[in-house]
Amino acid sequence: MKKECVAMLLAGGQGSRLRVLTEEMAKPAVPFGGKYRIIDFPLSNCANSGIDTVGVLTQYRPLELNSYIGSGQAWDLDFSDGGVHILPPYQSAAGASWFKGTADAIYQNMGFLDLYDPDYVLILSGDHVYKMNYAKMLDFHKSRGAECTISVMEVPWEEASRFGIMNVDGADRITEFQEKPREPRSNLASMGIYVFSWQALRAYLCADEADPNSDNDFGKNIIPAMLAAGERMYAYRFSGYWKDVGTLESLWDANMDMLSPASGLDLLDESWPIYANTRSSPAAYLGPKAEVRHSAFNRGSEIEGTVENSVLSQGVVVEEGASVSYSVLLPGVRVERGAQVRYAILGENCRVGAEARVGAAPEDCDPADWGLAVLAPECGVAPGRKVKAGIMLNKRGEERAK
Amino acid sequence: MRELHGIIFSYEKRNELYELAEKRTAASLPFGGRYRCVDFVLSNLVNAGVQDVGVVLHGRYQSLLDHLGSGKSWDLSRKRGGLKILPPFAYQRAWGEVAFRGKMEALAGVRSYLQEIRQDYVVLTEGDLVANLPLQEILEEHIRSGADITAVCADDASPVENGAYFELEEDGRVRQVLVQPHQPRGKRSLETYLLSRDLLLKLVDDCASRDLTSFRRDVLQARREEMDIRGWVFRGFAAQMRSVRDYYERSMQLLSRDVRRDLFCPERPIRAKSADKSSAYLSPEAVCRNSLIADGCKIEGTVEDSILFPGVTVESGATVKGCILFKETIVRRDASLRCVIADKRVQVQPGRHLAGHETYPLVIAKGRVV
Repeated sequence: MKKECVAMLLAGGQGSRLRVLTEEMAKPAVPFGGKYRIIDFPLSNCANSGIDTVGVLTQYRPLELNSYIGSGQAWDLDFSDGGVHILPPYQSAAGASWFKGTADAIYQNMGFLDLYDPDYVLILSGDHVYKMNYAKMLDFHKSRGAECTISVMEVPWEEASRFGIMNVDGADRITEFQEKPREPRSNLASMGIYVFSWQALRAYLCADEADPNSDNDFGKNIIPAMLAAGERMYAYRFSGYWKDVGTLESLWDANMDMLSPASGLDLLDESWPIYANTRSSPAAYLGPKAEVRHSAFNRGSEIEGTVENSVLSQGVVVEEGASVSYSVLLPGVRVERGAQVRYAILGENCRVGAEARVGAAPEDCDPADWGLAVLAPECGVAPGRKVKAGIMLNKRGEERAK
Repeated sequence: MRELHGIIFSYEKRNELYELAEKRTAASLPFGGRYRCVDFVLSNLVNAGVQDVGVVLHGRYQSLLDHLGSGKSWDLSRKRGGLKILPPFAYQRAWGEVAFRGKMEALAGVRSYLQEIRQDYVVLTEGDLVANLPLQEILEEHIRSGADITAVCADDASPVENGAYFELEEDGRVRQVLVQPHQPRGKRSLETYLLSRDLLLKLVDDCASRDLTSFRRDVLQARREEMDIRGWVFRGFAAQMRSVRDYYERSMQLLSRDVRRDLFCPERPIRAKSADKSSAYLSPEAVCRNSLIADGCKIEGTVEDSILFPGVTVESGATVKGCILFKETIVRRDASLRCVIADKRVQVQPGRHLAGHETYPLVIAKGRVV
């Protein structure tokens, strides 16, 4: 059945900079904000924008993601025509191969797109936290008669060299694209969200695939090729909260942003809900001695200790006398009696034994040694053990270089 | 396990829930910070492998229908079987206008549905029962004992509105059935009965032909001697929501860890519809102790010994103590609430003071602004 616009969500990335958190799951499946996983943001944005057909391209460690997405019902994306489709790499007559790059991932799923014969394709990635109405971006694309529209946002000039930068003319038509330029001439950074007119993109994908020297990547190959050919390409300006949560530090930052509406990340706003596929459990219980300040927490949790400036996911237990501050606790973490957790990210189902110490505040240690303490999912910290700031433990509790 | 079929009754009992049941029956009454009463019974059934469930409606059913939807939340939206809504009183001009006279009358009204039941056994239960019953185990015991009817009862005789009580013999046989006794004694009936489909059909037909309407009076009491009726005693938390006071006391018991462990035991999870709210948030000034807080709550004031449903706001300077606040209640700045049950989307304006008592909590009806 023909669709006006189909979204393709690139969710195959390993997210290796998230280190031990993504050893056994793809980055988009990483929990965020106490209740969500990163992929909830693009999926909910699609649902809220009226885009009812979404292909999710998986590759690295897809199990967690596949079972999480299920039928797409949690995002109201279970339709009899359209809906969410998981698209793993598959074997063709010529053999099987991994996706070579982002563009190759779309190329290999051209059959899926042709099934819906869309006028436009929306390319999304699974590692950003933001709320955005894609329908508005699509309207912009159509009104400019563009072949490609790239969503951009202004970033501070001093950070511009970390991004893919778009140089535009007075009408926001893109004149040049610079990947991480040393001397940026604009501060409009690409957010990794593209709208393409499908037939145009299709032609470029086929040409790119035929070039053996290409990396088959949107940023490196497709966008520059389209620019060089003089296609109409526009920058769509977005203002609002947007964060790439590809590193442990930015993941921690974005979680902290959630606690302060001033950051622009307002998840309590119900006009643009972010949906999640959650398990049922009772409301959180805060005990008679609980001290919880400036923190978020979720159902299934039992808090008897002290929690400050932290984000606690579902089913977290903080026992009496334990204290947690400036930390992100993923689902099922247990912090036992008298333990202290400071400036840390604790993976799913970690257990911090009684009187153990994990992490430290920057003011309590040598700035050169300071960093977030990170525990892999399922990691157990023995009672009384001290895990210093900046240390990372794998699931067996062994230290890993960061 | 496809042997058991569930039938849930949701009807008005001349009870004392007052404003809480103004727009709903007890089955869709919010309970425990994020559930509706019927979630417990539905979860009990699903956890025992039950795949087909009929819900018998009487009056004030809009709220329950909204909540149940297609039954998806309990995996009961199925091509074959699953959740079925049964309106046995559809032939009457307006549902609920005529008082609910008894389960046998209601069942006679859905005779053709009963005929189609695929399972050998049926459990009759009620939407206002909050308990985590091991129905699988009870069914096994029912089959093993060879009883005609197994009546699930609590290990106490605490008084409930419109209650029934069983006096049991040593071997579990029912010696005496007391309906609405002045002085309750024996074991409190949880109004949950297991019997075979064939026996149920026979009883329904028998009662219908003689214009008998009540299960308790016309079956349990009248046929106690000719049938093998046995009690199965449940020792966990088992509440029947029939008065504001019951509701308040039973809710507050959830603040005890042991009660929560029992009611929310991980082997038999209680499923509920998701509210799609964000995390709960406590501000730097907030104080919150000995309370159950659901997702999406935002607390800047003080909350103690209370139960807050999803999306409740308590602004700074406000105090909430011993209260139950339903979904999306807003308590504005410096207001103070004590022993209050606020229904959905109630708003308490700045500086207002409201107080009930543990024995007589103050109920504020849905959507009111105080």
